[in-house]
Amino acid sequence: MIAVLALIAGVVLGIVFHPTVPPGLQPYLPIAVVAALDAVFGGVRAKLDGIFDDKQFVVSFVSNVLVAGVIVYLGDQLGVGGQLSTGVVVVLGVRIFGNVAAIRRHLFRA
Amino acid sequence: MTSVDGGRWDGNERRSFAPDFLSELFRNPLDPGYADAAARRARGEGPSGATRRIISGITALALVALGFLLVVAYQQTMADEPARSRAHDQLVGQVQRRRTETVALQDRADRLRAEVATLRDRELGGAAVARLRELEAAAGLAPVRGRGAKITLADGPTPINPLTGERKTEAEVKDTDLQLASNALWSGGAEAIAINGQRLTATSTIRQAGEAILVDFRPVTSPYEVVAIGPDSLAADFRAGYAGRFFEELVNRYGMAYDAAEVNDVTLDAATDLNLRLARPSPSASPLPGSSRSGTPDSTPSEGGR
Repeated sequence: MIAVLALIAGVVLGIVFHPTVPPGLQPYLPIAVVAALDAVFGGVRAKLDGIFDDKQFVVSFVSNVLVAGVIVYLGDQLGVGGQLSTGVVVVLGVRIFGNVAAIRRHLFRA
Repeated sequence: MTSVDGGRWDGNERRSFAPDFLSELFRNPLDPGYADAAARRARGEGPSGATRRIISGITALALVALGFLLVVAYQQTMADEPARSRAHDQLVGQVQRRRTETVALQDRADRLRAEVATLRDRELGGAAVARLRELEAAAGLAPVRGRGAKITLADGPTPINPLTGERKTEAEVKDTDLQLASNALWSGGAEAIAINGQRLTATSTIRQAGEAILVDFRPVTSPYEVVAIGPDSLAADFRAGYAGRFFEELVNRYGMAYDAAEVNDVTLDAATDLNLRLARPSPSASPLPGSSRSGTPDSTPSEGGR
C-alpha cells in the first residue's frame, strides 16, 4: 500500500516539476528505466514468495540503475555503446520475463 | 551465497558462476539476496524494529524515485517525438514548396521560350526557320514525332534473403543498362531518344544514386521505356545487336523484363532545363525589336550545350 502511494507520489512529483534531462544523460534514461523495472519486478516476486526484504530491494534498485548506466557509459567510451546497451537490455529483459512469469504463477496459479 | 530454485532455497549450496551462468540466469531470475535475507530473518539475525522502519522509509523513497524516473523517461520520449516529426514535416513542406516553385519557373521558361520562338520565326522566316527547326529537333530542343523503336526494361524479382534481410538487387535495372540501351540506339541511327519521357540531349547524364536512377538529375523508375525515333530497322537492329543480346542474357539469367518493339507514331517532348554553357550572347548585339538585322551570326547563338 505504502509502496503504491510512494510510486504515485513519484509520478506526481515528476509531473509537477517536469524536469529537463541534461543531454549528456539522455542515452542512459531508457536503460535506467529498464534496470529499475528489473529491480521492481524482482521485488514484487519476492513479496509474493514471502521473502521480500527492504534493504535488498533498495540496494538492488540503486545498484541496478547505476551499474546499467556505468556499463552503457563504458560501452560508449569503448565505441560499443549500442551493443552493450542491447546486452544490458537482453539480460534485464530475461530477468523481467522470468520474474513476471513467477508473479503470474503466484497470481493465477498457472 | 545461496541458490533459489522456483522459490525453494537451500542455505548450504554455493551459487556458482560456472559455464552454466546463462542457463542459471534464465531458470532463476530472482536475486539470491532475497533468499539470503529471508534466511537471516529465519535465523533471527534481521535488523531490529527501528532500523527496519528506516529501511522501509528508504524503500518508499526508492519507489518515489522510480515513479519519478518513469515519468521523466516518458516525458522525455514524448518531448523528443514532436521535435522529430516537426523537423520531418518542415522538410516535407520545403520539398513540396520547392517543387511547386520549380514547376512554376519551368512553366515560365516554357512560355518565354515559346515567345522567343514565335518572335524568331517572325523575324527570320522561310528557310532559316526550317533549318533552325531541324537543328533544334536534333539537339533535343524541340518536340519531335515519328516512327522508331521502344525498348522496355523492368526490374526483375528482388527477393529478400530471409536470413540476412538483404535484398538481392542483381535483377534490378542499373544506370549502365540504360546507358547501354541509349548508346545502342544512337549508334543504330536514332535521331531522338527519351527515357520515361525525359528527352536526352548531347549532354544528358544517366546515373545511379543509391537505388534510384537519375536522368538529367530527375529520378526515373521501373519500368523504363527508352523510346527512340529513327530508321525503320532500329528495333530489329537493336534486337540483333550487342545490347539486345546482352539484355536477353539478363532476362534468362536474372528474370529482368526486356522488350524491343517498333512504334509507328510517337512524339518525344523537348528536353527541359537546357541552358547555354558555351555560347554567350555577344555584348554588342542588342538588336532592336522589329529591326531587319536578320541572319547576323552573333544574334542566333547556337544552343549547342547545356
